[in-house]
Amino acid sequence: MSVEVEVDENDLAEMVEQVWEAYLDPEGVSPLMQTYDENQPSEVHSSVSITGSWSGHIVYSSSRAAAQRAAAAFLAMELDEVSEEDISDTLGELANIVGGNVKAMLPPGAQLSLPQVVLAPESSARYPNTERISGVYGLWEGEPVSISMWQSSTDTKEEGA
Amino acid sequence: MKILIADDSRVMRQIVVRTLRQAGFGDHDLIEAADGQEAFDKTTSEQPDLVISDWNMPQMTGIEVLRQLRAAGNSVKFGFVTSECTPEMKTAAEASGSAFFIVKPFTAERFDEVFAPILG
Repeated sequence: MSVEVEVDENDLAEMVEQVWEAYLDPEGVSPLMQTYDENQPSEVHSSVSITGSWSGHIVYSSSRAAAQRAAAAFLAMELDEVSEEDISDTLGELANIVGGNVKAMLPPGAQLSLPQVVLAPESSARYPNTERISGVYGLWEGEPVSISMWQSSTDTKEEGA
Repeated sequence: MKILIADDSRVMRQIVVRTLRQAGFGDHDLIEAADGQEAFDKTTSEQPDLVISDWNMPQMTGIEVLRQLRAAGNSVKFGFVTSECTPEMKTAAEASGSAFFIVKPFTAERFDEVFAPILG
């Protein structure tokens, strides 16, 4: 039997805040400013899948510039020192951190996958039979960043059954 | 002391190393493992005093590494740094002899709180 998901925008926003505070903006000078625009563009994205008591995906997406800035912050490097691999690893870890925190809020029995990173826009990816159920959309120093949750429709069907 | 940091994410290993330094534990001998199997092998071969392990890793998960070490009679001080923290995971970790459970994202203050009693 599937369950009602109780992870909403506010929970995601709180996780985002913690990630910014710990790694991306420890000085508290450049937070993610929410735009509430779920159609904002992206150039790169990463995701983790959750299966079990809830099934779906957590997707982190951003512009390339924001991903480069995130990698520089993660690795305490200058922007121009950041490699493609640094960007990829950082994106994977961002999806992993948010996904792990989401999983912790789900009922027991959920499994988290290893992260997948795609250096292409989120719109290039298809999460078959899923529906976006919540998300945080914002600008980080003017660059688009979003974190969203996609629920598998098999869950939705079961709920209606 | 020799400390093994096991995480399949290279950036997270670097963040753990940096946070250890920020918390004042940078003068220990730090070694790294990139998956569960490597964590198990290096713990056996390098005999670290402390293992700081991710949970979700290829080859073997962190909890599998801990269980196999204990099954092999290895009593190294071992704990988790993970983005996943469900009550059942904490229970499983404790039951297997885990010494600590740190949730990502973490801060240098949290590292200090956990590692000061262990590393002195």
